[in-house]
Amino acid sequence: MGNNIMRRWPALMPVAISVLLYAFTVIVQPSALNWTAVTSIVMLTLLLSFASAGQTLVLIGGGMDFTVGAVMSASAILTAAIMNSQDGRFLPAFGAVMVMSVAIGLLNGVCTVKIGLPPLIVTMAISNVVSRLQYILTQGSPLGYASPAFIRTVTSQLFGVVPSLTLYALVLFPLMFYILNRSRLGHQVYLVGNNPVAARLNGIGVNKVVILTYVISAVFSGFTGMLGAAYMQSAKCQMFDEYAYNSLIAVIVGGTALTGGVGTYTGTIAGALLMVVLNNTLTTPALQLTPPMRNILLGLVMVLLLILYNRGKAVRQ
Amino acid sequence: MSQRLQQGFSQFRKNPAFAGFVLFAFTILLNAVIQGPGSFFGVRRLNTLIYTSLPFLLVVMAQSVLLLSGTMDISVGVQVALVNVVTIMTMQEWGLSFILACGLGIGAAIIASLVCWLLVSVLRLPALLASFALTYAIRGVNVLIMSVAQGKVPREFYRPYQSAIFDMVPASILALVLALLVWAYVRRTRFGTNIYAVGANPRNAFAAGINPAKVQLQAFMLKGLFVGMAGICLTLVTASGNPTQAEDYGIRSLAACIIGGLSFGGWGSMACGVFGGSFLILTQNAVEFSFRRLGVLIPGFTASTYWQNFVSDIIIFLGLLMTMVTAKGQREALRINLQNSVMFKRRAAHGK
Amino acid sequence: MLEMRAIDKRFDAVVALKGARLNSSPGEIRALLGSNGSGKSTMIKVLAGLVAPNGGLILLDGKRAAIHSGVDSRKLGIATAFQDLSLIPTMSVTENILLGNEPLRAGGFVDKKKARQTIRELLDRFHIDCDPEAYVQTLTPSTQTMLEVAKAVSLNPRMLLLDEVTAALHYDEIQVLFQILRELKAQGLAIVYVTHRMKEVFEICDTATIMRSGETVIDAPVPELTLDDIVYYMTGQRPEVAASASEMDVAQEGETVVDVRDLEVYPKVWGISLKAYKGEIVGIGGLQGQGQPEFIRALLGAEKVATGSIDFCGRKLSLKSPADAVRMEIGFVSGERGREAMFPLRTVQENITAGKVAKGNVGEYMTPKSLRAFANQAVDKYNIKIGELRDPASSLSGGNQQKLVIARWIAMNPVLLLLDDPTRGVDVHSRREIHKILRQCTDEGMTVIISSSDNEELLDISDRIYVFYEGSVSDVLSGEGKTADRLVAAMMGMGAANQKGGDQ
Repeated sequence: MGNNIMRRWPALMPVAISVLLYAFTVIVQPSALNWTAVTSIVMLTLLLSFASAGQTLVLIGGGMDFTVGAVMSASAILTAAIMNSQDGRFLPAFGAVMVMSVAIGLLNGVCTVKIGLPPLIVTMAISNVVSRLQYILTQGSPLGYASPAFIRTVTSQLFGVVPSLTLYALVLFPLMFYILNRSRLGHQVYLVGNNPVAARLNGIGVNKVVILTYVISAVFSGFTGMLGAAYMQSAKCQMFDEYAYNSLIAVIVGGTALTGGVGTYTGTIAGALLMVVLNNTLTTPALQLTPPMRNILLGLVMVLLLILYNRGKAVRQ
Repeated sequence: MSQRLQQGFSQFRKNPAFAGFVLFAFTILLNAVIQGPGSFFGVRRLNTLIYTSLPFLLVVMAQSVLLLSGTMDISVGVQVALVNVVTIMTMQEWGLSFILACGLGIGAAIIASLVCWLLVSVLRLPALLASFALTYAIRGVNVLIMSVAQGKVPREFYRPYQSAIFDMVPASILALVLALLVWAYVRRTRFGTNIYAVGANPRNAFAAGINPAKVQLQAFMLKGLFVGMAGICLTLVTASGNPTQAEDYGIRSLAACIIGGLSFGGWGSMACGVFGGSFLILTQNAVEFSFRRLGVLIPGFTASTYWQNFVSDIIIFLGLLMTMVTAKGQREALRINLQNSVMFKRRAAHGK
Repeated sequence: MLEMRAIDKRFDAVVALKGARLNSSPGEIRALLGSNGSGKSTMIKVLAGLVAPNGGLILLDGKRAAIHSGVDSRKLGIATAFQDLSLIPTMSVTENILLGNEPLRAGGFVDKKKARQTIRELLDRFHIDCDPEAYVQTLTPSTQTMLEVAKAVSLNPRMLLLDEVTAALHYDEIQVLFQILRELKAQGLAIVYVTHRMKEVFEICDTATIMRSGETVIDAPVPELTLDDIVYYMTGQRPEVAASASEMDVAQEGETVVDVRDLEVYPKVWGISLKAYKGEIVGIGGLQGQGQPEFIRALLGAEKVATGSIDFCGRKLSLKSPADAVRMEIGFVSGERGREAMFPLRTVQENITAGKVAKGNVGEYMTPKSLRAFANQAVDKYNIKIGELRDPASSLSGGNQQKLVIARWIAMNPVLLLLDDPTRGVDVHSRREIHKILRQCTDEGMTVIISSSDNEELLDISDRIYVFYEGSVSDVLSGEGKTADRLVAAMMGMGAANQKGGDQ
């Protein structure tokens, strides 16, 4: 029964754990309960869930995308460089980011499918190359800033309370929902991830579907990188590299199976929330955790979450 | 004679280590051409190259053992740092002798490996994610043990390591030989074949009366030993302690193994890992040198290390592609061969 | 010597064994028979330590034996040759055969010299011609199977389990194997022999245990059984001449839908020609592994055609992938539900709509309502027993899963429907319903090509039957000639293909 609920509502558990963690934080440090803290949690959660959208799709399809972080950083750099603090340059920046993202996504997909490289390794190698390119482009120092208007669309407060980043969520969440749950592609991705052999015999173009998931993932990461540039105002090399792993963890914690075929985007959003809240709790001043202790706890919590979600099958049935 | 040579070569082409060897030979040649053979193969430069890159090579060997047994560990990088900090701090704080401290350092690597085994083989968590989580935990432990870079190694230990015996053979290569001997021994024991079986197909290994978890335990112990040796070598290279070094060894060792021709589970050999690791090191070396040379040749040419890194990563990526294309070709050749022999058998049967 | 009593095993919802029993004595070759999915392989796996039974008792020499792993099984003197082989393709012949049993010398080293000698003797004894150092993946399927048996025998067991090992073997290899089995029997080994080939049962087995849907139906000495008896115990029905055949309107030689000429597919199909007309059910019969799956997959574009041609609706068909076939209105139902047809983690609805989802523009909007309606309609029309549409498909019984897969395609109304042994492991009731559905469809003009391991089914449902033997057509049965004995004869390779060439 409990299993059934978890399968149907994979978001439930991470949300519940997040609420408990936050409650715990507030108990040890009552001052943690304030609007600024909540807003910051919301914004970071949104950024991580945008970045993890494509990762969700790729993992459901049975792959893995480690270029998320590198694409985000590269896109942030492109955005800052092209906008260079001037308004009215959104479209050129957007165009450049999209061209780059699609190219990287295609490269990921084609190398995985046609050459048969393990996704983990090939996306990692490509992500390295992308990171190196960032340094060449910037020579190691930040170039320019995102335009003020663009920054406002991300960081200002609607009605003085709601972070305006949520406006993007109003577009991106439904878009992702459409791709995953309403489009033909989404249905095919689930089938391919669950049983690629059956999917192929069933007449699904498995290679095409897998390549598309990588392209979509890169596009989502690219756009999130633009938002990230606005959120941080300027861009540094490898600024968002940690999003590669964080998105992976958020997706897994959100109930998507590493073996493919199962997963939801709401689960991923909940997983992103959990990651952000966990980080928030570990950095609560009242707990007086030193950075190494934080790392150790983070590692342990991740192991616990993995035990909850992702145990393999025994050899003997 | 030439026929036997030819036959040997065609056998070697089917070897999983073939692509790795070609890449390795290519980078050797590249280095020799760029630097001039006399200079590249000169004792001084070769010695430095070998003793500085030895820790990474040992880590690659450790990772190879795991890949062969069908698992992996990307926390090997922080484990190398763990060995380093344990060795330095037990020496500094408890006043232990260097040798004893090294023993403790290797012990720490083996304990870390056992924890990873527990997560991966016993609790059956996905190896990638479990060892990633472990990376955080061990990184934390490292900084707890040693908050900032400090400490030093007695001169009488690191000097011999960095020297060349009779000005001919780099002393550090003994560590590599030792590791290879350990592997050569292990490979000839029962464990040496079981590890392949478990990596390729745990179910069939189990059916053959092998306990996959036990074989993986042995693999993790051996990996712990290699990582321990890597940590000691790194300590001898830097002659000090640093809790945040070597972190990227984890991912890079994995890439080295794949480039060398190992695949996830039971296919390949230790030679694959060694060739792949050497390819990575030599590529970096060649690129670094040629950029320096270009700076001398063309006045005003300044290329940042950024370009160097970019060029080496591109070469590494191309190496990865080449390995995979070779492997694909090998599989295709095998398929056609099989097809022909089936047809032949059939014809023979019908001819009767 | 060995006795298995009341063995139970469930895999999730599927009951594989219920109260099954098996006896085996030294110096006896016992046939373990049953149709696909009757639980024979599961019994073998229980003894080999690969499957943990949920209940029951295993007695060896009257003492309770606990088999928890492959090690335990070996220690008790049980050796197994598996149907799907337990060889490791990336290891050498020597390493494979000695795996877990390597001769050691001082220092823990594997004794290479001794190993080589053992292997040499073993390969000679089995007449296997291969390099002991060759990787197993470079050997032909039949050699691999011989190695699998050799590996089991090399353990010097008291008891030898052989699970359908002859399927991939050639005639002379089978003779070698039988010779060795007779020797082993004389030495007092207890041998359990699982097979689908009745001829072999009568040739080599002393006693037989027959299983049906997870239960043991009968134990008897082979000489007391006739082929009819065995078929009866395996299927629960006396084979009778299909009375319905003459009643069914045999399709007119009308419009040709499929015309296959001299098709060769590596490594199993050697020059098959076949025709199917509109509104016809064409059956493909034969023992297991005679090229049926490869032939059907070649029509689907999932196997590469070596030579020969396929015409579909008057046009030459050249398919690169099943996706191309689906675009041409060809549907495919696999009997290997788990591996090739089901998406066990996905819902019942998604499994039904998988065919609809496969075809078309990837960006297109799929209305939830229409998908649900499609699924509901299929469930109603084909009488699939489900809990709810959103339950995972793995919650359905085998028969309902198969109906679901068939409904998936029939609801798309393809021109040609290919079925590869679709009723394997399906209960009699669901089987009848599936037949009814197929008949309805052909009445509406669909063409069906169906292969089956069940003769009765073939005789019952097909308008014409092509019988495959070793990758060629050994006979084509239709009308009056569609009888059980002619079918069985053709399956053994004693077909009339040369005298009565069908429509060639």
